[in-house]
Parts: sequence; C-alpha cells; structure tokens
Amino acid sequence: MQTADRSSLLKQINEISFTVNDLTLYLDTHPLDTDALDAFTQAMAQRKQLLDTFAKEFEPLTANCVCPDTNNQTASNTKYPGKCHFTWSDGPLPWDNEGGAI
Amino acid sequence: MWMYEKRLQFPVNIKKPCPKTASLIISQFGGPDGELAASMRYLSQRYSMPCKEVGGLLTDIGTEELAHLEMICAIIYQLTKNLTTEQAKTAGFDAYYIDHTTALWPAAAAGIPFNACEFQSKGDAITDLHEDLAAEQKARTTYDNLIRIIDDPDVREPLKFLRAREVVHFQRFGEALEKIKSNLDEKNFYFFNPEFDKRFVKTQ
Repeated sequence: MQTADRSSLLKQINEISFTVNDLTLYLDTHPLDTDALDAFTQAMAQRKQLLDTFAKEFEPLTANCVCPDTNNQTASNTKYPGKCHFTWSDGPLPWDNEGGAI
Repeated sequence: MWMYEKRLQFPVNIKKPCPKTASLIISQFGGPDGELAASMRYLSQRYSMPCKEVGGLLTDIGTEELAHLEMICAIIYQLTKNLTTEQAKTAGFDAYYIDHTTALWPAAAAGIPFNACEFQSKGDAITDLHEDLAAEQKARTTYDNLIRIIDDPDVREPLKFLRAREVVHFQRFGEALEKIKSNLDEKNFYFFNPEFDKRFVKTQ
C-alpha cells in the first residue's frame, strides 16, 4: 500500500516537473507569452507542494527539502527509523528499480 | 551551480536483462550523437553567446541533457544487472565486459571511447546554433534506429520520450537562431561572426 502511494506521488511529481521543464524552455524563447507564464506559475506552485508532501511522507528529493524533523514520517527505506538523521540518504537511488525507485 | 534532484526525468523500469540491447543503447551515453556530447556541447558554447536569452536556453537544454544521460545510464544499468557468466559472453557486450564488468563507461556502440571531438564549440553563434540543430536531428535519428530494432516495451517507452525531447530542442534552437539573426543586419547574417565582430550586432 505504502509503495503504491509512493509511486503515484512520484508519478505526479514527474508529470508536473515535466510541465515546468518544458515551459521553461518555451519561455526562454517566448518570455512575454502571458498564457505560458500563468501555466508556469501554476505548475511551479503545484510542484513545490508535491515535493513538500513527498518529503514529509518519504525521502526528500532535493537538498532544499531536507528537514530531519519532518521528513520521511512513514520511515520508509531508511537505515535509521525513529532516529534523528540526515534524511538525504533515505529512499532508493533513482536508477534502482528493484530497490523501489519506481 | 547545479543541484541534484533524486529522481529520473522519466521512469525506467526494465525487468528483463539484455546485454546485447545495452551494448547498442550505450551510444546514446558516450557515442557521437549521445547525451554526454549534447550536454557538453551546449554547456561549453553558452559562455560566449552574444545574446543572453540564448546563453540561458543553452544552460537549460544542457542541463536537461544531463537528466537524459542519467536515464540512458539507468537503462544500461538495468539491462546488465545480475548477469550470468553466459550472458556476459553475449556477442557485442563481451569485449565491454572485459574492460568494465557491468559499470557505466561512456563509449559508442562500436566501442570508440567518448571524445570531445564529437562536438564543436566554435565561438560563432550562427555556426554553433546550426551545429546544435544538426545535433538534435542526429540524436533523433539514433533514437529512431534504436526504437526500430528494440521490442521490449520497458526499453522502448523511455527511448520514445527521449526521441520526442530531441524534436522539442530542435524547435527551441530554431527560435534561438532567429533571435540571434534579429540582432544582426539582415544583409550580412553569414558574413561576420556575431561573437567576435561585435560591431555588427545591434545594441539591445
């Protein structure tokens, strides 16, 4: 159950991050496109919220999300459950599909 | 400055190892039109670009190419995981295995090591952007060649994603070229180097 939640949240992060990334390249060459700017602002806000939720439930995906007091409340994929520790090392490495990266 | 994000740009989840396929896909890691060359090409060219928006675009695309390199490496890693001795002897992968076991090392499918001669940073905005447009098309053709002969949907899906990104980058570089040209005298686009002969670039 927990694994399914992690995958679906990660999928949402991948999708919204793709939106942000593709809009970034578009805005690099169309900096005055107001529709694209609105879409960028909305997607970025959603991305930040999803990254925060993910870090709270599981491991932080960026160093900006590292907060030992609030990260990984499900104690998933950590060597130090219940101990205050550097949560950046929690979770699988992104290429480790058998270790639960997907 | 860069910060790492601990996820792949597009998921890679391959269940069936296949060293033969890995030995072909490795070209998009260290081959002539691979992601490493792409990233180094754009991140090298950007410093002397006369137009700051284009320097910014090269930074963003060069950064995305690093994420593509990571996906390609994840594909190769998963295709060569837990190999038996018999599988390590697979024709096409065997010679690589002798030198690198199943570690990742940038080389072309034909075994030629990665080399900076695979890209240019020429110091002329028009020249470099044409190189970038050609590079995206060459990478797209390589993905076409891979997708044509690979059957496993777990491998095909991330390759199809990467192929589509080449098309988007081509579009953005085309727009960047137009932007550079709009700052030059239309009578002499190809006559002067806008990165060196700065007097021919319109002040913005």
